[in-house]
Amino acid sequence: MTEPLLTVDGASVRFGAFKALTDVGFSIQPNELVALIGPNGAGKTTLLNVLSGEITPQGGTVHFSGRNITGNAPHRIVADGLVRTFQAAEPFQRLTVRENVMIGGVSHHQLGLLPSLLGRGRALLDHGVLRAEADQHLATVRLAELAGQPASVLTAGQRRLLSIARALASGAQMLVLDEPGAGLNDIEKRVLGDIILALSASGKTILFIDHDMPLVSRIARRILVLDQGRIIADGEPAAVRSNPRVLEAYLGQRGVVPARTAPSRAVAAKPLLDVSNLSVSYGGLAALDGVSLGVGQGEIVALVGANGAGKSSLLRAIAGVEASRADRMTFDDVDLRGESADRAVARGINLVPEGRALFSSLTVLQNLAAGRYARRRAEGFRHVMWRSATERRIFAERLEAVYQLFPVLKERAGQLAGTLSGGQQQMLAIGRALMGEPRLLMLDEPSLGLAPQVLAEILRCVERLRDDGLTILLVEQNVSAALGIADRGYVLANGRVAAQGSGRSLLEDTRITEAYLGSGDRELERAAQGVRAVAV
Amino acid sequence: MTSWRIPALIALLVLCAASRSGYLVSLLVVIGLQALPAIGLALIAGYTGQISLGHAAFYGLGAYGAALIGKWFGVPAWLDVILATSLVAVIAWAIGWLVFRLKGHYLAMATLAFGIIVQVGFVELHDVTGGPNGLTGIPPLALFGYTLNGDFVFLPAVWVVTIIAIVCAENLIASPTGLAMRAISENERVAGSVGNNVQSIKRLIMMVSGLCCALGGSLYAHYVGYLSPGPFDVGFSVKLLLMVAIGGFADVWGVLFGVIFITLLGELLKPLGAYDVVAYGVLLVVSVIYCPNGLLHGLSALLGRGLRIVNVGRAP
Repeated sequence: MTEPLLTVDGASVRFGAFKALTDVGFSIQPNELVALIGPNGAGKTTLLNVLSGEITPQGGTVHFSGRNITGNAPHRIVADGLVRTFQAAEPFQRLTVRENVMIGGVSHHQLGLLPSLLGRGRALLDHGVLRAEADQHLATVRLAELAGQPASVLTAGQRRLLSIARALASGAQMLVLDEPGAGLNDIEKRVLGDIILALSASGKTILFIDHDMPLVSRIARRILVLDQGRIIADGEPAAVRSNPRVLEAYLGQRGVVPARTAPSRAVAAKPLLDVSNLSVSYGGLAALDGVSLGVGQGEIVALVGANGAGKSSLLRAIAGVEASRADRMTFDDVDLRGESADRAVARGINLVPEGRALFSSLTVLQNLAAGRYARRRAEGFRHVMWRSATERRIFAERLEAVYQLFPVLKERAGQLAGTLSGGQQQMLAIGRALMGEPRLLMLDEPSLGLAPQVLAEILRCVERLRDDGLTILLVEQNVSAALGIADRGYVLANGRVAAQGSGRSLLEDTRITEAYLGSGDRELERAAQGVRAVAV
Repeated sequence: MTSWRIPALIALLVLCAASRSGYLVSLLVVIGLQALPAIGLALIAGYTGQISLGHAAFYGLGAYGAALIGKWFGVPAWLDVILATSLVAVIAWAIGWLVFRLKGHYLAMATLAFGIIVQVGFVELHDVTGGPNGLTGIPPLALFGYTLNGDFVFLPAVWVVTIIAIVCAENLIASPTGLAMRAISENERVAGSVGNNVQSIKRLIMMVSGLCCALGGSLYAHYVGYLSPGPFDVGFSVKLLLMVAIGGFADVWGVLFGVIFITLLGELLKPLGAYDVVAYGVLLVVSVIYCPNGLLHGLSALLGRGLRIVNVGRAP
């Protein structure tokens, strides 16, 4: 066996009490093509920042081509030949495509200050080696004909390719690509895959993070799986896909919530929320592409799907936080399109955002009171300034209801929200939303960073809320737990609805596993035909 | 493309000098002197994206430095200009080393504080700077035994230096380092991720920037022959920033236009006395909001729109 090019040994990173990486160790041989996957919050980006020198690990070492690079400055690590790209690609918008790539070459064609002032640098840029190299790298990623265009006109896929060309221009021996395929369409992904394979064939060593399993299975020879800051699997794609620990990391432990005996309830004839052909895009990146769904009065609907499938974007679009386009988006027959977020809350659509978004320097009670704001504002501005008798009565009622559901919040009413535990914070976030008299409660990843028992408690509360007549739209990473309590579910993949059905039936459905982990054999056939791998 | 600009500038200067108008020529000298710090500020604030509210300090340090070096060591005026400029360049590099750990508002506040500290130093160090009474008796610049006394002979000297600075600044911007500067102003993290030593480039440009300011300041000292702390206060830093903003930040010739515009405007605003600051403030806000690419670009865009409307109106 040859000497590995990159060796990470026992790397550990802590942010305060939170352990982002624990004793991570792996090595990569020269010219290997390796994928790094893992669920949300697994520590992938932290690991990447450790490799690129932006974070110095508290423990462990990183060796690159025989040298210890732990804690070196980012530009030194690039000079050694280890170069990263960013998830958002981030081209320099005010520069041309060619200039973007030339930036990568600047560091090893550095010119002294005096020659620069005297005009010696002009030639280097206009017709010198820097320009020739840039054109060569642009040809490698098939962007040569756009060289003179401003980088702002590029599509999302072209931006990713440009960032790869920029990394190549800095003399990279090994490329570390952060989600190069996120948000790209199938054709762009195929081109990206071809280019990554070509780079690998030309002798580059590549490590890339991605969530799109069809793409990963197609190009990677080896997959590393990171979960909760640890490497849980390392091997060939087929072996990793059938590894029970990987399935558990992605789909959650079965049996967190005891199976319900109650049969699936009848869905109201007319949906409370009715969305048809909804699309959301972030500067050219399509996050949602023509999604339709309905949520009936009094049911729990679960949205599941891999990272980047568009789940949060869907909730944010319904809440009015994200600009969107839709053929129809009605809530109780009222058109929601173009409605501002605070008006949506006043209508009874409440979002409990991912990461809770509490006011951490306010007390628990103050946080709960903040949940009334949109309702009071909708009554008129003077209601923000003082509380009417009705408002005081409703406030007391709602507070009592929240305290009944989460008694711990009553005990800690005077405590600062930032000092609560993760589970209590999640309860407070839900409680704050309940203060606003919601008719549709949307929960985005309530389990993030919580222990399974705490999640089970929160999901029991969600069920109780439903039994009291509240309608709930739930996004949850722990697929088994979410579908276990849901009346119906939707599986999102690449911004589209890949499957839908009752919670029970979806749990058995193999398409869920596919949406998360892809499927080896079918993938091969479909790649040959050039058809979407994850489709209805 | 820009090759016609320098001959045109020289022609304009010759034309103004030929008018024999003392007022016009003295204005041109002031414009030339202020163009140096403005171009310096454009390099760091415009092209590299690092805001500075303390550039008047470098200008002042250059002026006092040249005057004091001349007074203490009795060196000829041209030598004290060079010595003071080099010294301030080193100081600027060191200040860059100190303040570029900060970004955004914090960077603005740190540079503002630096400007104020230097200004307070000029006022309070009576024994060295003469305090509020100032320094008098600074000899005029002399070259090859010929004394540059008076506006008509000082004009070519200052504009030769200014034009050299413009050419050097343009060369720097067109070099690989200039490309890295523009990358840093857009996204430091990405610029660093492809191997550019961001901090070192920022310090280097801060040094060049401080050098330009000090050069302008030391020439100013020998031009007026008398120094007081007043012209080097924070107000002058803001005025420099205004010149750069009017010029469109990352545009050397635009900044020169900004200097001319602000200097002429200053003449118009003289009747307002100390309230001219209000006018400058309003202008800064308006130009940053409505003409983010500079007044010239803003006006030409407006003109283009007007023409289009007129043409559409004519169309049947």
